[in-house]
This record gives sequence, C-alpha cells and structure tokens, in this order.
Amino acid sequence: MLFLQRMSRPQLLVLYGSQTGTAQDTAQRIGRQAQRRHMQNQVAALDSYNVANLISESLVLFVVSTTGQGDPPDNMKNFWRFLFRKSLPAGSLCQLDCAVLGLGDSSYPKFNFVAKKLHKRLQQLGASLLLSVGLADDQHDLGADAVIDPWFTSFWDRVSALYPSINSMTAVPEDQPLPPSYKFHFLDDVIEKSDDTGRAGIPREQRVPSQSHPFLARMTSNQRVSHPSHFQEVRLIEFDISDSNIEFTAGDVVSMRPCNNQEDVEQFCQLLQLNPKAQFILKTNNNSAVPLGLPEPCTLRHLVERCLDVVAVPRRSFFELLLCFSTNELEKEKLAEFSSVPGQDELHAYCGRLRRTTLEVLADFPHTTAELQVDYLLDLFPQIQPRSFSIASSTQAHPGRLQILVAVVTYKTKMQKPRKGLCSTWLASLDPTQGEVRVPLWVKKGTLKFPPEKDTPVIMVGPGTGVAPFRSALQERIAQGKMANVLFFGCRSESKDFYFSTEWRERVEEGQLSLFTAFSRDQEDKIYVQHRVKEQSKLLWELIANRNAYFYIAGNAKQMPTSVCDALKETFELEGGLSLEESDQMLVAMERVGRFQSETWS
Amino acid sequence: MPFRFVNLAAAPPYPAAADCLEKFVTTLLSDPPHVDDVPNEPMMDLGIKAGDKVLLVWSQPSPLALKELAESVGAVIGANGKVAVENIEMLLISAHSSSSYDWVLSCLLTDNSSVHSSETLEEMARVLKPGGRLILEEPVTGTYGQIVRTAEKLTSALKLSGLTSVTEISNGELSSDALRSLRSSTGYQGNTLSRARVSATKPDFEVGSSSQLKLSFGKKTPKPAKPALDPNAAEMWTLSANDINDDDVDLVDSDTLLDDDDLKKPDPASLRAPSCGDGAAKKKKACKDCSCGLADELEQETKGVQKTADKPKSSCGSCYLGDAFRCASCPYTGMPAFKPGEKVVLDKNTLTDA
Repeated sequence: MLFLQRMSRPQLLVLYGSQTGTAQDTAQRIGRQAQRRHMQNQVAALDSYNVANLISESLVLFVVSTTGQGDPPDNMKNFWRFLFRKSLPAGSLCQLDCAVLGLGDSSYPKFNFVAKKLHKRLQQLGASLLLSVGLADDQHDLGADAVIDPWFTSFWDRVSALYPSINSMTAVPEDQPLPPSYKFHFLDDVIEKSDDTGRAGIPREQRVPSQSHPFLARMTSNQRVSHPSHFQEVRLIEFDISDSNIEFTAGDVVSMRPCNNQEDVEQFCQLLQLNPKAQFILKTNNNSAVPLGLPEPCTLRHLVERCLDVVAVPRRSFFELLLCFSTNELEKEKLAEFSSVPGQDELHAYCGRLRRTTLEVLADFPHTTAELQVDYLLDLFPQIQPRSFSIASSTQAHPGRLQILVAVVTYKTKMQKPRKGLCSTWLASLDPTQGEVRVPLWVKKGTLKFPPEKDTPVIMVGPGTGVAPFRSALQERIAQGKMANVLFFGCRSESKDFYFSTEWRERVEEGQLSLFTAFSRDQEDKIYVQHRVKEQSKLLWELIANRNAYFYIAGNAKQMPTSVCDALKETFELEGGLSLEESDQMLVAMERVGRFQSETWS
Repeated sequence: MPFRFVNLAAAPPYPAAADCLEKFVTTLLSDPPHVDDVPNEPMMDLGIKAGDKVLLVWSQPSPLALKELAESVGAVIGANGKVAVENIEMLLISAHSSSSYDWVLSCLLTDNSSVHSSETLEEMARVLKPGGRLILEEPVTGTYGQIVRTAEKLTSALKLSGLTSVTEISNGELSSDALRSLRSSTGYQGNTLSRARVSATKPDFEVGSSSQLKLSFGKKTPKPAKPALDPNAAEMWTLSANDINDDDVDLVDSDTLLDDDDLKKPDPASLRAPSCGDGAAKKKKACKDCSCGLADELEQETKGVQKTADKPKSSCGSCYLGDAFRCASCPYTGMPAFKPGEKVVLDKNTLTDA
C-alpha cells in the first residue's frame, strides 16, 4: 500500500509555504511548467497537504519563503513542527527525490533560513536532493527572478534526466493556454438575493476563529483621530467581539481580508464583459483548493469584490498568462516581452516602480482583456491577501471589544492617480453610523511578550501607529496593578496627530505612566523619539541595569529602530561605562532572554 | 577564396576598421575554409567546439595573424557557430548582448599586448554565457608595477569581475613587437616582463546563489534504484502524521542544522544586475512607431552597431495607447489609455516637466 508503482505519466508535487503569496505564485508557475511538459502536477500549501503521504511520494518540489525573524510562513507552521520531531526515523524519505527553492531577503540576518534548514532536514531524513537549495533574494537588482530562472532551468535538467520520457514529447508552447484549474457552472436563473454581503448565516462560533473560519465582527465605531487639517488620516476603529470565542493579550494581532471598492469592481466587470449578477457554482478541475469563504452559489460581483485581487501590482506570471489569450499583434508582442527574462527590467519600469495595478494593466491591453475567459479568473488573479494590525486595546479596559489604529496609506508615484492601500482605504470607507457593518476577522498571537512580574518596569518606544500594541499593553498592565511603565511617543505635531493624548495625560496624573514625547515638526529642529531616549539615559540605565526592565520598539521600519537602538547603546556606554563592543553585547544578551523586543513593519 | 587585404592596423577612427573586420569575417563564414588548410590544433586544445559562439578581442595586431586566428576558429565552429571580432577599445561601446558568447579570446596574438582594465574584464564577463570561458593573454611583471601588474594581481582582477576557476595556463616570453606596442600605448618604461595566458569561467548561475551545483547522479546513467522503505520507519512516520496536532513532542533544534556557510550572506557584488544601473544610465526605449525625436536620438547613439529590430518612422500614433506602448518621454505617461481623438487634459504638473 505504501510503495506506489511508478505512474505512467510522471508526476510533480509542488508544496509551498507562502506568507504574502509570492512563494505560492512561484509554486504555481512551476506547476504550469510541469503541465506544459505533460507531467501530472499538484500544487498545494504545505499545511493543506497530508504529510503522511510524503513517504510514498516520488518527486516533490518545495517552495518556501522565510518571514518575520527567520520563521516559516503561517501556512507551513504545522508541517514545520512535524518535520523536526526527533522521533522521525532517518531513512523515512528514502524513496523521495526532491528539491528546495527558497524566497528571502538578504537584508535580514536570517536570510532564507527556512529553505536552508528544510534542505538539510530533508537530507537528514534520507531524501535525495536533486540540486542545491535555490536562494532567491529580493535584494538582487532583478529581484527573486535572478536566482529563480536559472534554478528552474537546472531543476528541469535534473528532472528530465530522471524521467527521460518527458523529453520525447513536445512541450505545450508558452503562448498556448493550459486548461483552467476551475470550472464555473453558471446558473440559468438569476435569483435576486438580498443577502449578497457574504453573511451566509452568522453561526454562533464554537471554535476559535481562524483564517478559514473568521468571526463576522460588527464594527461599532470608526473615528478619525488625527486632526482634519493633518495630511495623514489615522483612524481608531472598534469591533464588537462578544460571544466570538476570541481571546487576546497585549501584543496580539488581528487579521482581516479587505474588499475592492465598487468603482473598481464595476470597471473590472466592464473590461472583461462580465455580468456582475451572474451566479455560479465553482468546481475544481485538478484538486486545486476552492477559495475560502465563497458562498454557494456565488455571484461574479461577490467574487470580484471579495476574492480577486485586481488592484495588486501584477507579477510576471500574470503577463505569462495574459500572453496565452492574446491575439492582437501589438499587445501580444509586448506581453511576450514582459514575460521574458530580458524583459524583466522593462516590466519593473512599467509596473513595479510605479505600482501600477492589475486593473490599470488590463486597461492598457483592452483587446487581450476582452478575450479572457471567465473559467480562468482564479488562475489569472490572485486571491486578496489578509492584512494584519496590532490590537490597540485590552479587554481589561474595553471588555468585549477590539480596537485597531489604522493609518490610511496613500502616496504618489509617476502614475497620475495616487496609489492607495487597499485595506486601509476600505476600512476608512466603512461607516457604522450609516447601517450595520460587519467585518470577518480573526486573531493571531503576536511576537511581543510582556513580563508577568508586578514590579518589572517596561519601557516602550512607539512613535506613530507603533503606539498601538503599547496602548493594549498599558491598559492591560494598569488593570493588573503594574504601574512601572515608560512610554516614548513621537509624532509630527502635538496639535495634529498626538492621538490618545487625553488618555495618556490621565495615566500620568494617576502615576501609572511616565511619558516622553517628541513632536518632530513643532520646532525648527527635528526631534525624534531617539533624541528623547538619549535625554533619559540616567533613568533608562537605572531601570535596565538595576531593575530588570524590558525594552520594546514598535512602529514603522526604515530608520527608527536602528536609531533607537543606537541611542540605547549610547546610554549603556555613557551611564554604564561600557565600551562600544560591550554595549552591543548587552543588547544582544537582552534580546536573547526576551528583554529587548521589537515589532516593526514596512 | 578571395580575401581583401585590409590595413587592420589602421589608427582611429576605429569604426572604419571595425566595418572592415566585420565584412571579411562574414565572407569567411559564408565560405569557410577547409579543415586541412588551416592549423587548428591550438583552438582544439582550448576546447572550442562546433556551434560555439566566439568573440575574438584584439589590439594592434598584424592583419595576417588576426585573419588566420579568425579562420582557424571559424573552421572549428563551423557554419552553426559564430565568430565576432572586436577591438579592445571598442568592446565597451559595442554593447554586445549579455550572456551570448561561449568563448571570449582576448589578445592571443603574439604581438598583441594589452592590459585589460576592470571595465573590460567585467564587460567580457557580461557577454559570456554562464559556464562560458575567457582566455586572455597579458604582459605581467615579476615586480610591483603601476601600468603592468603581476600575475597574482591579474588573477584577482579576473575574480573581482565575477569570474571563477581562474587559472594561469602558461607564462612565456613577450615578443619585442608586443613590448614595443605596449610601450607606445601605455608609456611603460621597464623591461622585466613576461606574457601570461590565463583562463577563467563565468559561473553557472547568473548571480545570486553562491552554492555549487552538486549532481546526485550523472545525466547519462539510468536512475539508480531507490532502497526499499523500512516498514517500521513507515509506520513511525504514519503514526506521527496522524498525531500531527500533538504539541507535546520533542523537536530537533533547527538552528543546529546550519553551518558557517549557511550563516553567510550573499556577496553584494553578486546582487548587481549585469547591465548598468538605474538613473541616467538606464536605457530609454522609443515606442514602436514614434517619431517624437527619441527614436532618431537613439539611432544616432547606436550608429554602426547592428540593430535587432527595425523601428519604422511613421507619425507617432501611440500616445492614445496605454503606458505599455508609449515612448519613455511621452507626456501622457501615467495616464490611462484614451480613444484617439478624444480630448485629454494634461494637468499642469506634466506640462511643466522638463
């Protein structure tokens, strides 16, 4: 039963671990390459695959990103824990030929650690690795493709040596479409459904909500907390999570999937000549996973609004797929160029650098767009990725509620229309005073951990929206009687974006908080949180060296975390008399035991 | 076979010399000489084979010697191969396509003597295919020198330009002709020189991954049979898998799997794209039918170099198309496509753009 006969057509199994969808996209690309070579193929996320079958597989390709601090993506965490069990026998994977392709960013210290470790562990378990681990790097001028393209070539060389039969058949050419992964079975009668908001019954949740079963939370308030005259719109949004089985502590994170706005949905349907009201049932052609949360039957409007990411910046794979449908000579030539290796520079200049959306690309290629077939919708357009926010409140202060602090993302590139963040813009547009608003969401454990001891002081540096997890921590700690709290907050102007100022003032008056503020634009010189950290060197040294204090940084990445770390190390040198090296080591030691933690985002 | 005797040692303007060379090499390839006529052992020694694409780089040769060299290479590579000949000064300007040559042979003629600059070496590395080989000869000195370098310095220069497997094949006498031309071109005064022939290879991956490819079996041998899976191991695995949600298990510390090599980050030099970087040096493209001046400008710049595509110069009809089809300098950049003839208002920002 366990030893399968070699299939008449060779099969490639591609398993991926993907956080933002890039590794998934890469996995799907190579799955299509296998299809073009007349191989059977299956592409699946690692945690969706029954790992018991791995011992009887013949050929597997692993495509894995590294995320966070050298960690595996969410959709391979279970697999990861399983693979490293000491009890797994060394020869378990002796039947397996496999290869590992890693996606990472060498500006992080733990560059591609997941791929490197996976490669070694597979070897330990007796698998034959067909070639060395591929280490794609976002830092390369040409991005991950610089490694992926030649690695794919070598991979196919090895596979054709293993399965010579695939060489005897002519591959399906790159400009011919492959069969679609899904079939849309349209219903003849268009039933007018009032319930088109995807509510599909609001069950009483018995289990803890997760990505596959989010909780449909009612939005209770959505208030702008930055001054109307301030250039940046920042909002405090609150959800009702009573009876949801959701529990969280300070430092945890809430995730949700945004929707496309009506204008974009209409334009998309027009370009592809889709009837938004059309209803369909989705069937998969080849064991692909059906997207989560689609009602049955589903309307095209619902699919486009909630599932298809049509405002993402398209990847190269999108142009490879468009090419298959194009018959217009001018457009086809351009699509071929954008799909080719030498054309990647041009593609980046056209798309990546300007952050051109998929919808805008479709408008540039009207003839090809009109030829797209509806069955390919889920092959062409990725699913909308969930976005995560640090939870900004504690149930100790706001029972049954969950609050987040959201800065609306908007910026200009050379495109005439300004670019907008999908999730922040969508959240800003929801108005609970105009009717009930419900958002499917779920909570994940965050990386920040706060000390349980009452007397341990906590020093938090959280400029801008970075203050969100610290507000949660402060509300929680004060409710628990822990009063040794220090907060460094920075923003641009005391009058414009000093959110929660009233709340902080009250805490300070009650002796529950020491607050140091830096308003960068309120005077001629720029004053940032790191300057305040330096000013308080005596206090910080006393707390850290003598009272076992914990130190936290949260907020926007780029310069701030480094500058704050530098200021902290200067404190060690100044107040503690340490040398440069010793203060470095002190910080490293603090990090190792969890007394220095940071959560920064870009 | 008719040959035109051309004075290849002509001084600049170089384009004329390049044209001549181009023509006689073409003549050569359209009617390749018989294998018997031309000595080709040296080329066979190097490992050049039929179908290869070879770039011969020269500096101040005698015309006969270069012609013979090109002929003997042509004989080996046959009709499917390609020989290109390039003067070392022209190499950077000619902008050959990346990764297009199996071989670059530089200054192999006995009376050639050039010092290869780092730009030249990088350019040679760029035009080589991954896995392709560079063979060059260069005068080297036994002592420290400003103009001429030691063999070790030459080796490091080759490595710095991104090549691997750098080996000195031979070291011989520098001919007096070569010495004379070196003196006149560089002002070199000394005389403690010899001539080194060095070989180098372009790594198999373009850039990025630093690991070597390890074959687990050769291409020609059939796949070795896999050992049978021990039934106990299989059972252990299956049991564990069925228990996958059990958190109370002992785990191997994954950090212990990594060795020093794994902890290293890629060399920053390996992360640069082979072509020149962003900004002013970025190549501008004229759209297909445009005559807003850009196509003409580009043609002026690249005169004398073979162009791969013809750009017909009809009136520009492309502005109404999307950005994908517009000129780099089109004022409508960043705006969506519109119907031809539709009135589109450019906002003041684009109009004031220089």
